[in-house]
Amino acid sequence: MDSYIELHARSAFSFLEGSSLPEELIATALAFEMPAMALLDRNGFYGAPRFHLSAKRNGIKAHIGAEISVKDPRVNDATFSLPLLVRTREGYQNLCRLITLMKLRVPKHSKNGECVVSADELAAHHKGLICLTGGFDGPLALALNSNPADGSPRAQKTIDWLTTLFGHDHLYAELQRHFNRDEEARNQIIVELARRNRLPLLATNGVSYATELRREVADVFTCIRNHVRLETAGRLLAENSERYLKPGPIMQTIFADLPEAISNTAELSSRLEFTLEDLGYEFPKYPVPGGETMMSFLRQRTEEGARRRYTGSNGAPEYDQARNQLERELKLIEKLGLEGYFLIVWDIVQFCRREGILVQGRGSAANSAVCYSLGITAVDPIGMGLLFERFLSEERGEWPDIDLDLPSGDQREKAIQYVYERYGKLGAAMTANVITYRGRSAAREVGKALDFDDDTLSRLAGLVHTWEWKDPKDTTERQFREAGLDLRNPRIKKFFELYKLVQDLPRHLGQHSGGMVICQGQLDAVVPLEPAAMPGRVVVQWDKEDCADLGLIKVDLLGLGMMAVLEDSIQLIRDSYHEEVDLAHLPPDNPAVYAALQKADTIGMFQVESRAQMSCLPRLRPERFYDIVVQVAIIRPGPIVGNMVHPYLKRRQGRETVRYAHPLLEPVLKRTLGVPLFQEQLLKMAMICAGFSGGEAEELRRAFGFKRSEARMKEIEIKLRRGLLKNGISGKTQEEIVQSISSFALYGFPESHAASFALIAYASAYLKCNYLAAFSAAILNNQPMGFYQPFTLIKDAQRHGLKILPIDITCSNWLCTIEKEPGPESSPHSKLSLRLGLKYVKGLSQQSGMAIERERSLKAFTSIDELRNRVPELHKDELRKLSAVGALNFIQSHSPKLSIHRRDALWQVEKAVRSPGALYEALTEKDKHSPLLPMTIPERIDADFRGTGLTIGKHPVAYHRAELNKLGAQRAIDIAKIQNGSPIRVAGWVIVRQRPGTAKGFVFLTLEDETGVSNIIVTPQIFEQNRRALVDHPFLLIDGTLQNQDNVVSVKAQSVRSLAFKVAAASSHDFH
Amino acid sequence: MFACIYSPDVNEELDDFAYAFSPVVEHTKQHTVTIDVAGCELMFGSPYGLATEVATRAKRPRAEGGLGSQVNIAIAGNPDTAIHAALQLPGVSFVAEGEELTCLREFPIESLEYSLVNIEAKQAEVILETLKLWGVQTFGAFAELPITGVSERLGQEGVHLQALAAGKTSRHLKSKQPAPIFSNAVELDHPITELEPLSFIYARLLNQLCATLSSYALATNELLVVMTLENKSDHQRKLSLPHPLLDHKVFLKLLLLDTEMHPPPTGVVGLTISCEPVKPRVIQNGLFVPLAPAPDKLELTLARLAKLVGETNIGSPSLLDTHRPDAFIMKRFVLPTKADTRRRRKPPNNRQIPATDQQRRVGFRMFRPPLRAVVQAERGWPAQISAWGKQRGVYGKVAQLAGPWRTTGDWWRTDRWARDEWDVALETGSKNQSSKIQGIYRIYRELLSGAWFVEGNYD
Repeated sequence: MDSYIELHARSAFSFLEGSSLPEELIATALAFEMPAMALLDRNGFYGAPRFHLSAKRNGIKAHIGAEISVKDPRVNDATFSLPLLVRTREGYQNLCRLITLMKLRVPKHSKNGECVVSADELAAHHKGLICLTGGFDGPLALALNSNPADGSPRAQKTIDWLTTLFGHDHLYAELQRHFNRDEEARNQIIVELARRNRLPLLATNGVSYATELRREVADVFTCIRNHVRLETAGRLLAENSERYLKPGPIMQTIFADLPEAISNTAELSSRLEFTLEDLGYEFPKYPVPGGETMMSFLRQRTEEGARRRYTGSNGAPEYDQARNQLERELKLIEKLGLEGYFLIVWDIVQFCRREGILVQGRGSAANSAVCYSLGITAVDPIGMGLLFERFLSEERGEWPDIDLDLPSGDQREKAIQYVYERYGKLGAAMTANVITYRGRSAAREVGKALDFDDDTLSRLAGLVHTWEWKDPKDTTERQFREAGLDLRNPRIKKFFELYKLVQDLPRHLGQHSGGMVICQGQLDAVVPLEPAAMPGRVVVQWDKEDCADLGLIKVDLLGLGMMAVLEDSIQLIRDSYHEEVDLAHLPPDNPAVYAALQKADTIGMFQVESRAQMSCLPRLRPERFYDIVVQVAIIRPGPIVGNMVHPYLKRRQGRETVRYAHPLLEPVLKRTLGVPLFQEQLLKMAMICAGFSGGEAEELRRAFGFKRSEARMKEIEIKLRRGLLKNGISGKTQEEIVQSISSFALYGFPESHAASFALIAYASAYLKCNYLAAFSAAILNNQPMGFYQPFTLIKDAQRHGLKILPIDITCSNWLCTIEKEPGPESSPHSKLSLRLGLKYVKGLSQQSGMAIERERSLKAFTSIDELRNRVPELHKDELRKLSAVGALNFIQSHSPKLSIHRRDALWQVEKAVRSPGALYEALTEKDKHSPLLPMTIPERIDADFRGTGLTIGKHPVAYHRAELNKLGAQRAIDIAKIQNGSPIRVAGWVIVRQRPGTAKGFVFLTLEDETGVSNIIVTPQIFEQNRRALVDHPFLLIDGTLQNQDNVVSVKAQSVRSLAFKVAAASSHDFH
Repeated sequence: MFACIYSPDVNEELDDFAYAFSPVVEHTKQHTVTIDVAGCELMFGSPYGLATEVATRAKRPRAEGGLGSQVNIAIAGNPDTAIHAALQLPGVSFVAEGEELTCLREFPIESLEYSLVNIEAKQAEVILETLKLWGVQTFGAFAELPITGVSERLGQEGVHLQALAAGKTSRHLKSKQPAPIFSNAVELDHPITELEPLSFIYARLLNQLCATLSSYALATNELLVVMTLENKSDHQRKLSLPHPLLDHKVFLKLLLLDTEMHPPPTGVVGLTISCEPVKPRVIQNGLFVPLAPAPDKLELTLARLAKLVGETNIGSPSLLDTHRPDAFIMKRFVLPTKADTRRRRKPPNNRQIPATDQQRRVGFRMFRPPLRAVVQAERGWPAQISAWGKQRGVYGKVAQLAGPWRTTGDWWRTDRWARDEWDVALETGSKNQSSKIQGIYRIYRELLSGAWFVEGNYD
């Protein structure tokens, strides 16, 4: 008997119209020994890559297709779904283009029935496709349903239309049997029509899920899609659970009366020659001037760049030293046909340079000397001895990924729009980001479908913990019990089952933060494109992983807040300091930078400002650039989990001797004192000790990486051991090397990436130490970013001697600016102060802020009434907010005698915002001062925090110092002088709370007072005892023991008390 | 002079307590009443004497006419000052005329009772927020602001609130009218076990109730009868009517029918009848509209029918939106309204195409209830059926069949269902006799229990 092949199945990538992942469908097909299967998702190929790869791994042939929504009044009044199977590559390209056409025509969230194709569009894209007549929502069913008495003439008309469109040989009369009377009645007519028209019959099951159990999820999805509850969904829900993937024998029984419908599935499957293996994707081409090839053009650009960068001066290698490496890289690039890709990235970088946008390559691209020469990356891989194979290797069969860091915000958008413009709307697109049901979203939506009330829904959603660290005692049963929910209750139990079932199922398609795929006007033939929610953006239907798996090359244009800070700083330095800073040529060993790093005085500096970094810096004591590279890489899960941090620090401090597992490893691990810290070292270890080639070593890293496969790991491990043995490494040494490679590969950090980040870290530190005003203004203008709140950044800048000026409508711009204080010009730096920008007034719109700036540039404001009249954009509330934070104090005059206080301003604003009526309009109040009393200090701090989230006056804790002294609390600045192990009491405002996943339930707090910050360590036990105070209260008094190890000072908490200070405070930055 | 009494522990009883001192009582808000004490000097000597008497009497136990609780009482020249003082100051306070601000000065601004000057909460919130921004924290600070400045900035609402804060408002009390009671009760000396004597009591209580309703021009659509029984338990019956009625005779008949259907288990020693007062139904019948049965008569007929056939078996069947076969509920029968009639008159949107003779659908006669069947199945397919009910029996060999037609649903509930239907042609006669198709039946199997049923036959 012929085997049955399912040729009409939807996956969960039909977004709420299917409830199984493609992998699950393939696993079920495998269990049924189905040799092939087709996936037809709704209007897209969203799930096709995962379906294809899973099928390939399991030796199943994956056919691809899609259900296309069609609407054409000439065919039918309503929209119907047409199942199309891809027969040839041309068919695939046609279907891609057809989907792109329908998707790009309407906005992302268009209504049902708007995203459709017409009969003419189908006719233009029919080649290479096989058409099925569809299930209950197909064209035949629609024709038959429209006239229940006798729809066959209309159905015949539909068949005639489909035959003309696709040709007699490419049309199959589809039969589905889900034990439904109406469906069977239709089937009888379809069989008759098929016989009359000599069309082959085809049995399918119109699959929507892999197993019967998944029908429940499909019903829940129906509810979510239709915004109804299960109880009220009625006949919107499925009639039964028959749309699961059925094995051949069952389908043969169901279609026992029509055996040809079964045998035709195998026949049709054999006709479908296309798979995603045959995608027809070509690397993008770059237009080069006449007489040039892409390769020759790339060679020239590389050589030009290399000659500029490899000068032999400033520690850079000579050009001749670099030539061999460049040649090797260029040869490989040519062999792999990647020259166009490199030129495209080079072109983007050139555009950024022209437009004055800071750009720097990150990640493994920094291993390439070609990238360095082309100006894509800023780290010299030759000088740093980085491994090219980590970036590109022939053996790997996978394409490089160049990530570019750009200033976040408008500048990055400019670069993205340039790419769209350069390569056309159909030539470039962002990669997608599949948003899946997880945690709270899953709990909330499933709960809603089950008709839980709002209170229960909140409790259920609240069960999903957001702490990074999970208590092992935190079982689901316990969580439910604590939330007052009984898992024995059938509805709660059902909720829990469904909640687990919907986990990881796709919810909708978003866009990836920066990944772009480029294919020169041809991208819509490779993958369907669709509009993103953001105007002007187009996304492909595949995510980053899918693109990589199918060999699509991409470039990541990532937004990095610190890049924007650096860019803004340079401009501010240019304007205020009248100096030109070139980030590429910063003085390499600025003593101020290293002094600050060694003291862990790093608030605001890129990558080295976190609490963990701060606690490591005084031990590592960076002295040169490479130390910063190590510093950036060492506080990562890899080195922490792999227990590499302490051995490295001990060796660095000379407390432990440097030793190598094998003498062969010395050249590799010398720089990191015998401790492997970087991925490149791991690859080199395998290359040197086990004789692996560069590509093989990279393969080893991937085998042990995130997508681990037991079989693959075993295979590689055997190869590794064999290689080690060949080099005479056996026994304990071999074990040690294998162990360090296998445990480290999962989390390791590439040295090239660390070096790229270290460059930015150094630049940020350099600017902070030497141009504090400019750096502070830039970082405040780019908030939110980094680890600390603006308040902490400001207090830190003040402690470093920077004068911060308040928000003042007569001189503040929208952004923070630098002001020169009047006085002699001898030391320009010390006379600079920072003026807070209007953007820090909470609730003031940018439009209003810019309007103030615009009007003020024409003529200064002299009164609140005038401000109100000249800036009509300002709302009543905005004026109140400006008054409350003191921004209007100097509107009449800067002289202290003539200035008004905040309450005066508030008094005037209230009058200004009320129309007095025509009769009294001309009357003016003589006394500009109000009967109101000026704000007291606590009131001012409160108004500052409420209105701006920060205060530039004394630290809130400073007002309570006398009280704290009585309590015996030490100041942050003084605790470093206290002996290790002494009991200590500290108090302050909590600015950061952390509970990292790697810290076994320990909680880390950063307390700030007027003198600086102190670090507190809270054990899980103390945390549980004082949970409320630790989580909710802004001011804490902590008793504990002082720990001072290598100048890393922290307090191990023993008791915690909340302090009831009557001053406001900004919220802390919590990382749960 | 006015006195305000405030007690956080007492609410409802406060009004009655206040009536003991003055006939003019205002229920100002929860836990607060204000009384006009003008002319009470004759009884209590002075307003202060009255205040002391109120405080003393309030402490007495409830049985002795007190409240069993301490109260704040304040006497002032205007009610609003008295209210603020009573709310803020413990014990007895006396605010002399002209000294209002002295008393109110330190009160926090958030405690300003803006509703006293008819200002909405939202508006008051905005003004209070502005005052907070101004640093105005007390009544005194607010009162001292220049009135023109306040008027220009906060409008007339601000001025009213400022006067309130300064204790300068004056108004009449809104005295409280006792709420009508739509409930009548009787306690009996001897228990009643028969319907007839009960009917006399019903009649009396309903008469009174209808008279009260009528005096307020109201009717009712819900009657609640609570019978106190010999064993001291309660027997409750609720009578819901689709339309408001006001006819004690109809109520009596309905109650008697209901009591007949749901008699109390033991003798009745007490009876309370209360009702939900609603506006009466006003209908203007059209001249050419056929008269519908009078609602009272219809209710009586329905009640009589319900007594005959059982309450669950009367009403209008209504199909449920579900795939569950034959799922319906019985809805209470109500007369169609004008809107319903209009809706029905509208032509349907879908064009109905009359079926031709050949295509006319087969009629299906449903057996209610379905016949429990014994089915012999061969490889899961029904082969032989036998089913007997009270009036009919179905048995025979399956000659032809179609199916199964499967429906499953309500999987999230404890009463989920799943069933397979088959259409079978049965033939009679044994192998030796010539067989003959005796009919086409629909049978089904409940998949969860495995039980078979014959649901009906096709014409």
